[in-house]
Amino acid sequence: MSARDSILATLRRNSPPPAAHPLPDPAVLGEADASPERFSASLLQMGGTMLDRQQGETLDQAIALRFPKPGLMICSLVPEATGTVRIEDLPTPQSAEPVDVTIVRAAFGIAETGSIFLSEAQLHLNAIAHLTQHMVVLLDPAQITANMHTAYLRPEFHTARYGVLMSGPSATADIQGVLIRGAQGVRSLAVCFMPQ
Amino acid sequence: MREKPVNHAGAAVAFIADKPHLDFHDARLWDMRQKRDAQMHLLPEWQDLRSRASAIKEHALANLADYLEEFERNAKSNGIHVHWAADGAEHNRIVAEILEARGARTLIKSKSMVTEECDLRPYLAARGVTVTENDLGERIQQLDDQMPSHIVVPSVHKLTSDVARIFARSYGTDPNADDPHQLAEAQRLAARPVILHADAGMTGGNFFVAETGTFVVCTNEGNADLSATVPGVHIATIGIERVVPRMADLGVFIRLLSRSALGSPITQYTSHFRGPQDGSEMHVVLVDNGRSARLGMADFWTSLKCIRCGACMNTCPVYRRSGGLSYGAVYSGPIGAIIDPTFNERKYSTLPYASTMNGSCTNVCPVKINIHEQLYKWRQVLVEHHQMPFVKREIMHMAGKLMGQPRLYRAAINGTETALGTLPRFALYNWLNPWGKNRELPAPVKETFHSWYRRNRPTAGKATPETVKTETKA
Repeated sequence: MSARDSILATLRRNSPPPAAHPLPDPAVLGEADASPERFSASLLQMGGTMLDRQQGETLDQAIALRFPKPGLMICSLVPEATGTVRIEDLPTPQSAEPVDVTIVRAAFGIAETGSIFLSEAQLHLNAIAHLTQHMVVLLDPAQITANMHTAYLRPEFHTARYGVLMSGPSATADIQGVLIRGAQGVRSLAVCFMPQ
Repeated sequence: MREKPVNHAGAAVAFIADKPHLDFHDARLWDMRQKRDAQMHLLPEWQDLRSRASAIKEHALANLADYLEEFERNAKSNGIHVHWAADGAEHNRIVAEILEARGARTLIKSKSMVTEECDLRPYLAARGVTVTENDLGERIQQLDDQMPSHIVVPSVHKLTSDVARIFARSYGTDPNADDPHQLAEAQRLAARPVILHADAGMTGGNFFVAETGTFVVCTNEGNADLSATVPGVHIATIGIERVVPRMADLGVFIRLLSRSALGSPITQYTSHFRGPQDGSEMHVVLVDNGRSARLGMADFWTSLKCIRCGACMNTCPVYRRSGGLSYGAVYSGPIGAIIDPTFNERKYSTLPYASTMNGSCTNVCPVKINIHEQLYKWRQVLVEHHQMPFVKREIMHMAGKLMGQPRLYRAAINGTETALGTLPRFALYNWLNPWGKNRELPAPVKETFHSWYRRNRPTAGKATPETVKTETKA
């Protein structure tokens, strides 16, 4: 008998009575506030920042102010910003290694946790989300959902092959409990509210 | 060959002797527990979440074979290769075959407790595959040739100076570095080229969803997503018990997991893998390794609900003061003490005694596993199976006799109080009193309750239920 069949047979033999353990209906619990204010507060708690544009300022100008160092490689995945390199010119994960800043639009955000959702539909090259040093994320305030329960009702979880909820930048506290923002993935993550 | 039982108490003695490490370890884990409490108090629905998480897991376990088949069907239709491993050896063989078929010589790997169970790294090393852990804590443990001492924070028993020493040896950094930022940056810089050139990547999985064929990986450092998305081959090793029926169930578990583990609302990364990208491969290895047998153990099957948050470890006074390595097992702390004996009853027969039975582990468990009751049950099983050390068995025999005879018990108690009050330290703290090592005996009381009662109620004699009731009212 294959491992598969013998595991399944043992499980069926050893299983507690299924009738004694019914499945509860899916729950939507907790705070239902889906406001941009709640999202921002949660994002700050997770170590992310907001990128606010001044009156009349373009996205490119706001990004240049946030990342003033000359000569940075900036990859824009959105029509709202130009950047210095196009994603089409980065055919492999290895070619995305030198990218300093990536600008991408999230499919949606979660107010409870300040998370943004990205998939291959937004990223084209999934690895760029983790190889880039910094990330600027555009988010339509109309696409903020209240919490994790409402988030999992979104269709993206049934269509994306890779879907990541990023909640602030990468972080670690593995050395003597000291919290470090910017571990192995993005060093910073900024969200800019921008209707689509 | 029969393996000797782990000497948990002996290892704990060594851990306690090192005060700087002990103090940090105790304080750090207690801080995680307090941060968890703060998050819990923010959510009025917390207890509802726990009840639902428990019910969903119990349902999934009671229908596990069906949900595994459903997951397999959906994952396969999305292009994921699904493998089944009855035990660690089969798991390792499957992984080695996947790598060999692709000529892969280097594997970049994020943290996975199941691969620790299977002891994957030495197996692959012997076949010429270089395995590099890239979770910071796990990498520190790999470089120091130690098991993870905690399921969430693998190197929590180490201080910055320990990491500086290890990194100096392996990465050539300053052995006197005392800034964790500097050391974390060293890990980032050392890992990047290894990730970029790895032939294959490996992760674990926190959950998998039968309905969609998705598996979910919850991490903070970004290393798991790098391992998964940069190389063209992604292998995920997952224990068969980690299934949830529906995508909508994940909300309950994601809300509980990081809040219980670290006291943060969510991990920085919650990654959902439903299929490979164009031009790359994705494999899931479903590992049994004793789980299907555990499902049949009436008193212990609910330990399979565990989502590996580590909250029971952080709250446990014994774990905090003995360190994860003292358990001599892949899983340490209270959850380890109830699942390790299912792997090897004799070797881990000492672990269910590493508890004060205070029940805190049960109270913080996000999926409501009755951990302290299972610890107690294990002690019963081990006694029945004669897995109790001789001295402990004899002491228990004596205690049983003493407590079964009230007169004898009272005489002994009075004698003890006199001894505590009058005997010099050397007579109280010696090898005849292992309890007194590292602990102070309780201060002697002036009088036992029994003798006070006899003095104050000289005529009442034996208390009847009626007299007790009257006194309570008065």
